[in-house]
Amino acid sequence: MGLLSLLRKLKSAPDQELRILLLGLDNAGKTTLLKKLASEDITQTTPTQGFNIKSVQSDGFKLNVWDIGGQRKIRPYWRNYFENTDVLIYVIDSGDRKRFEETGQELGEILSEEKLAGVPVLIFANKQDLFNAAPASEIAEGLQLHTIRDRTWQIQACSATSGEGVKDGLDWVCKNLKKK
Amino acid sequence: MRLSIGILSMIWNSLYWWMRPLVKWLLRRTTKLCELQRICYGEYRGAQRTCGVEYSLLQSRVPEIQKCMKYTDSKCQERSLNHDYICYAAFTIVKIKKINTQVHKKFCNTLTECMTQIWGYRQLMADVEVMRRQSYSAENPDHEEKLLRLWTALVPDDPLEARVTKQWTSIGFQGSDPQTDFRGMGILGLENLLFFAEQYTSAARHVLSRSQHPIYGYSFAIFGINVTAMACDLLKSGEAKIHFYNASKRFPTLHNFHQFYCYLFFSFDELWRMEKPQNMMEFSRIRDKFEAQVKLKLKNPMAYFQCNFVLENV
Repeated sequence: MGLLSLLRKLKSAPDQELRILLLGLDNAGKTTLLKKLASEDITQTTPTQGFNIKSVQSDGFKLNVWDIGGQRKIRPYWRNYFENTDVLIYVIDSGDRKRFEETGQELGEILSEEKLAGVPVLIFANKQDLFNAAPASEIAEGLQLHTIRDRTWQIQACSATSGEGVKDGLDWVCKNLKKK
Repeated sequence: MRLSIGILSMIWNSLYWWMRPLVKWLLRRTTKLCELQRICYGEYRGAQRTCGVEYSLLQSRVPEIQKCMKYTDSKCQERSLNHDYICYAAFTIVKIKKINTQVHKKFCNTLTECMTQIWGYRQLMADVEVMRRQSYSAENPDHEEKLLRLWTALVPDDPLEARVTKQWTSIGFQGSDPQTDFRGMGILGLENLLFFAEQYTSAARHVLSRSQHPIYGYSFAIFGINVTAMACDLLKSGEAKIHFYNASKRFPTLHNFHQFYCYLFFSFDELWRMEKPQNMMEFSRIRDKFEAQVKLKLKNPMAYFQCNFVLENV
């Protein structure tokens, strides 16, 4: 036991630590995504009060993922977590068409934040398993993502519950970190 | 250091495994009582006795007893366990242990009582899990009715203007339609809240008004759903056993689980206010602290959480 943990320590020592911020409206699926990344049980989520944080090993990186509650009341506190962010992941519920405008506004505000200037952004078009989910291309158009010029960005269709697309998104994150 | 502790505990465990039957045999010779009898006669009623019986049965190497327990467990999973079956299982164990029922009448009753608590708890785990897995659905009239009842119980003077309305946020749901807020806790989250609001109305309204405090406020319903998750975890990990074994000598029911929840909710609110959090972002820290406190309390074999709520200032 002792030897094993020592070996593990030696192996993980050179890992680069990175800070990832997970934002989005309430019920977008941020906590489910976080749990999926950490290979935890995703059936027992609750609405996030405050925030959750987990460390995930991926591709030689130690990713410290911060999942902040998306409830309107909590959104003013998002800015407290902006500093030193390496990658921003913005999660959208692709089935919640009524709130596309709201989520677009929030994203727009975040991208104009000085503390997040130049930070790469990955947009997860989540809940693709729902029958009424909007495809990623439609969401990209609605959010006018092509107008983002001050940073690298990517939109990835995914389903946090089934795990589809999550790995692809994470690969993009790691690839963009290596470039830095 | 850790390695040596590991080796020591390994040696102790194997030693214990070999020595236990010898010690039991010696004690049985000298006291003329089997281990189950010594526990049932010697330990105080409640968690101390029931945990002792549970441990003894789990350690048993008699194939018939193991089989009997396995079968009882499967009954729990099917949620079809009843009093008759427990009596039958207890009788089987008494037979296997060759205990004279004429002389040890009291022992039979005590053993039945302990086994009722042990497997009642396991059945309660299955019952709770079924409710948790049932998602809230706006198409289910039963779910909708309960949701509306929750509003009426908490805010009787201010009727809802519509089913989907901003008013829901005043009792701490995230948006204008609560249905997505129950998430992984499903209908259990709603049942818990409703029980608190209807059975301990004044306490629930008191907590609600505290949750609306301008500085130390929080989202009442969301808070409650997170307490449901905590109650579930404590139940599943077995840490809540102590409380349930002390609470009732009969089959624990969902009613008992709801009461356990109410106690947690009320005490969590007390700690929250004592901590004077700067804002909602301190939730995780205070929740962890609260959970640690509850677990510590549950280490005491006499632990029993009673819902005697004393309402202080808002």
